[in-house]
Amino acid sequence: MAVSNQQNGSAEAPIDLANPTVVGINFGNSYASISVLNKQGNPDCIANEDGERQIACAVSFHGEEIYIGNQAKHQLVKNAQNTITGFRNLLGKKFSQIDTSKPTTSAPVIEHPEQPDTAAYKVQILQSAPLPLPASTTTTQQNTPLASRVATPRSEPTPATRILSVSEVTTIFIKSLLQSAEDFLGKKVQGAVITVPAWFTSEQKKALEDAATEAGVSVLQLLEEAGAAAVAVLSNPTAPASTTTSLSGDRTQLVVDLGSSALALSLLSIRQGLIHSLATLSDHTLGGDAIDSKLIKFFAKEFTKKTKIPLTVAPAPADSKQDQRAEAKLRLAVEHTKRTVSASSGAATCSVESLKDGIDYTGSINRMRFDMEVRNVYAGVGEQVKTLVSSAGLDLFDVDEIVYVGGSASLPGLDEHLAGIGFREDIVTPFSSGSVVGGGVGDPTTLLSRGAVVQAKLLAGLGESSEEEKEVKAAFHEKLENWTGVKVTSKSIGLVFPETSAEGQEENALGGQWIPLVLRETVLPCRRTVRFGVEVGEEGKVGFELWQVDESIKITLEKPPKFEPEDGEPEEEDEEEEEDIEVKDRIISKDELLGAALLESKKARNKKTTLEVQILIAEDGKVDVSASEVGGEKVTLAVPPIGA
Amino acid sequence: MAHIVELSVVPPPLRSDWTPPQSTGKSIAPLVERRLIPAGSAYLAHVKRAVHNLSFEEHDKHAEEERKRLEALYGNGTNGEDDLGVGDEEETEDLLSLDPKEWKKQDHYAVLGLSHLRYRATDEQIKIAHRKKVLKHHPDKKAGVAGETNDDAFFKCIQKAMEVLTNSERRRQFDSVDPHYESLEDEVPTEKEVKSAKDPNSYFFKSFGPVFEREARFSKKQPVPLLGEYNDGKEQVEGFYDFWYNFDSWRSFEYLDKEVNEGSDSRDDKRYTEKKNKSERARRKKEDTARVRQLVDLTLGLDPRIKRIKQEEKEAREAKKKGKTGGANGVSAKQKAEEEKKKAEEEAKKKEEEEKVARAEAKKAKAAAANAAKKARRAARADGADA
Ligand SMILES: Nc1ncnc2c1ncn2[C@@H]1O[C@H](COP(=O)(O)OP(=O)(O)OP(=O)(O)O)[C@@H](O)[C@H]1O
Ligand SMILES: [Mg+2]
Repeated sequence: MAVSNQQNGSAEAPIDLANPTVVGINFGNSYASISVLNKQGNPDCIANEDGERQIACAVSFHGEEIYIGNQAKHQLVKNAQNTITGFRNLLGKKFSQIDTSKPTTSAPVIEHPEQPDTAAYKVQILQSAPLPLPASTTTTQQNTPLASRVATPRSEPTPATRILSVSEVTTIFIKSLLQSAEDFLGKKVQGAVITVPAWFTSEQKKALEDAATEAGVSVLQLLEEAGAAAVAVLSNPTAPASTTTSLSGDRTQLVVDLGSSALALSLLSIRQGLIHSLATLSDHTLGGDAIDSKLIKFFAKEFTKKTKIPLTVAPAPADSKQDQRAEAKLRLAVEHTKRTVSASSGAATCSVESLKDGIDYTGSINRMRFDMEVRNVYAGVGEQVKTLVSSAGLDLFDVDEIVYVGGSASLPGLDEHLAGIGFREDIVTPFSSGSVVGGGVGDPTTLLSRGAVVQAKLLAGLGESSEEEKEVKAAFHEKLENWTGVKVTSKSIGLVFPETSAEGQEENALGGQWIPLVLRETVLPCRRTVRFGVEVGEEGKVGFELWQVDESIKITLEKPPKFEPEDGEPEEEDEEEEEDIEVKDRIISKDELLGAALLESKKARNKKTTLEVQILIAEDGKVDVSASEVGGEKVTLAVPPIGA
Repeated sequence: MAHIVELSVVPPPLRSDWTPPQSTGKSIAPLVERRLIPAGSAYLAHVKRAVHNLSFEEHDKHAEEERKRLEALYGNGTNGEDDLGVGDEEETEDLLSLDPKEWKKQDHYAVLGLSHLRYRATDEQIKIAHRKKVLKHHPDKKAGVAGETNDDAFFKCIQKAMEVLTNSERRRQFDSVDPHYESLEDEVPTEKEVKSAKDPNSYFFKSFGPVFEREARFSKKQPVPLLGEYNDGKEQVEGFYDFWYNFDSWRSFEYLDKEVNEGSDSRDDKRYTEKKNKSERARRKKEDTARVRQLVDLTLGLDPRIKRIKQEEKEAREAKKKGKTGGANGVSAKQKAEEEKKKAEEEAKKKEEEEKVARAEAKKAKAAAANAAKKARRAARADGADA
């Protein structure tokens, strides 16, 4: 098969565009995941050979063995000094830029003895003595010792020290991800899109790209995490159309990424597939680790209650090796507890063999208790969400959709909490649309890698045969200023169809039916075409005005509906404490009249006709609108460019 | 094409006193600078338009042309990858409920859907078969499917089979004891069967031919002379028996070794098992060599060609004798007639044989056609289920 013999990235042979052999990699600081394209060309997150879809970013050295992934994580209990974690966040940083003062629970970062100011790790390994025979004789696979090899006894492996730079560790790890993907696909991977946090600097990106290239991955793009999330959601054919904005595909999306060590928030404006960020924020005090600490404390207390053995954790006292080890064991164990809480509403258990003094421990926690224990984390996320949205000059009510990313965002308690902080009632979240459970399209733990592979598929199809094609391809790489810098509208523009207000009815602020055409935050140049039915008046005429509008959210306080206590006993104090409920409404008011047009209807039936309206706004702000009955004569109107 | 959004609002009739207001000449509000995230097909379209300096309409046209070009290049996105004849074997209940812990006992070829190829399967075919099975049985594909209890047992069997068949040494060991052929080994025709057959001659070739074809795979020397046919010359027949009496087989029996109990610390225990395994292998090998020898003995004993050759030689000797006594011009009329008669007989027989072969061929073709039809039906059913 010609393709599989091809070197990565040099694919001249026609790539199967419907299903190129590409992967999407979500490379977090604590977990990674891989997605590939299935037969239908849709993204699927795959499990590695250990059956894990969330693959721990950990590399552990134990004697002659190297463990990678979740197995390596388990080495943190007994072999912490030779177990490397947290390396992603150190990529591209100089040793002097890294804070090494904090105690670590894994192999400490040191300065590379040979490469100045390079961050590295030192691990103890067992080195097998070199074979007495030249290496060229070993032609068969290693897992079956050849008869001849058995006959030549090897000398015992000897202890040795190995220094690995952060980049080298990353390469080892990415290589194993690639291997898992290729084992699954049965083909060589032709290219990959890898996700990176929004705060990654260009040094960090470069270090990651180099490490990945070293691992044999042809990097198609390093994609910002929020972008990968949006692409995953947008590419989902079964997604519910945004129910509230009349222009489908246009929405304001909040991406909530709650990982292990941090919360990352992005508020995105999506306008017919074009994505730009309105505001971002990150908080390194919130995340799975913080949740773990709360849970560990909870279970340690329970353990002490049950056994009368004192146990202090999170943090464990520096002078108690026993408590430290107990904490490490609990940290591993609550991983399972958390996943159970996310997956089902029943109680979740936590079991640790020989937690302390040789005593085994099994405890359990139910959903309610869990949410109570970690409510500070939920509340912290809620507060940051409010901060983010108001920093963009918007109200929570303006958000159309929430997308969850990151393992800790799988917790339904978080979504429940956010639902109560002031979003619209009909806001779309993966929990409200039921797409989280059972590895659905909204699954926060797989979303990033799925988005990445969708993007990889797009990039795999790009040619490089002309200067223009090369330029198009380059627009997905670093130094994108050429094409990512854009201008957007600051106010929404649409049509008003003047109507006679019905008697007794409050005068509509716009004086007619409002049909938005181009929402604020739309990238220019833009084109929108809409089609809709119109009732035709007595004279067979259809007329409209083109308006630019202001939008705001009006908040009115309403008394909550009173619940009369059944038995007539008035509940005291409580009653006056009852807070008013905020009721929000979107207010649209006229800002600027941009033009108007009148059309003679020639095709009306039963006093109704269908109108097609197209609006074009050029980069300089020039607006052209044309309207016609479908297949009929056009009327046009134009608005001069800004500053003309 | 421009994307047209259908709206469900229906504006009411125009206010009767409305006239279009005078244009104010105003422009839209000042623009704001933003940075796009370089992701998604809309961004690609945005860049293409900008790089090629196209209007929306020109871009529409471009996109349409590109779509047509790709369709012509790749067909409708379907690419018929050649599976090198691996095909899709039916998976029986028994097969799917194999226990990976008992992997040594499984038929690795059947697990990968290669029962029809076995030792003949090339490395490439094995790879393709494996990929097909993985795509079908990867635990990932099953998770969440109703009724499937996230059971990856068969997947593990697949991985084991792959492990064995892609390692040439381990594959050789397995091929040595391929359960499919083990069961056939007992089906060697007996002397009685041959002798009591309606046409012992043709029965002999029909029944022993495949046996030797089968056994030939074990030969270190390739190609291997096969049984051949009735009219083979003396040299050929002798060559055949010569080869098979000196049959040099790579067959060995490590695969049937008892597991060395790694758990036990007792070195004696380990050594004992190893010793026992070694002697078992040797015993089996000896038995196998004897088996092949017996087979060749039996075949030689029943081979109608031996009689024929002996007869021919005798006749040749007699002819020679007669020639010596009867002068240089040699062959008597009677002898000539006899020879002619024999020739005719042989011709008739040959014709009959040929017809038989043709019939068999026709039957085979028919079976193949039926098989293909079955496959197509199965595929159609699978498609239907997908839809
Ligand atoms: N189903 C689940 N329910 C609750 N928590 C989970 C679940 N799955 C994973 N987690 C937690 O999510 C965290 C890992 O999330 P993620 O993979 O997004 O982190 P990351 O991207 O590697 O880290 P970071 O973004 O902080 O650098 C861990 O704390 C893990 O325990
Ligand atoms: Mg993350």
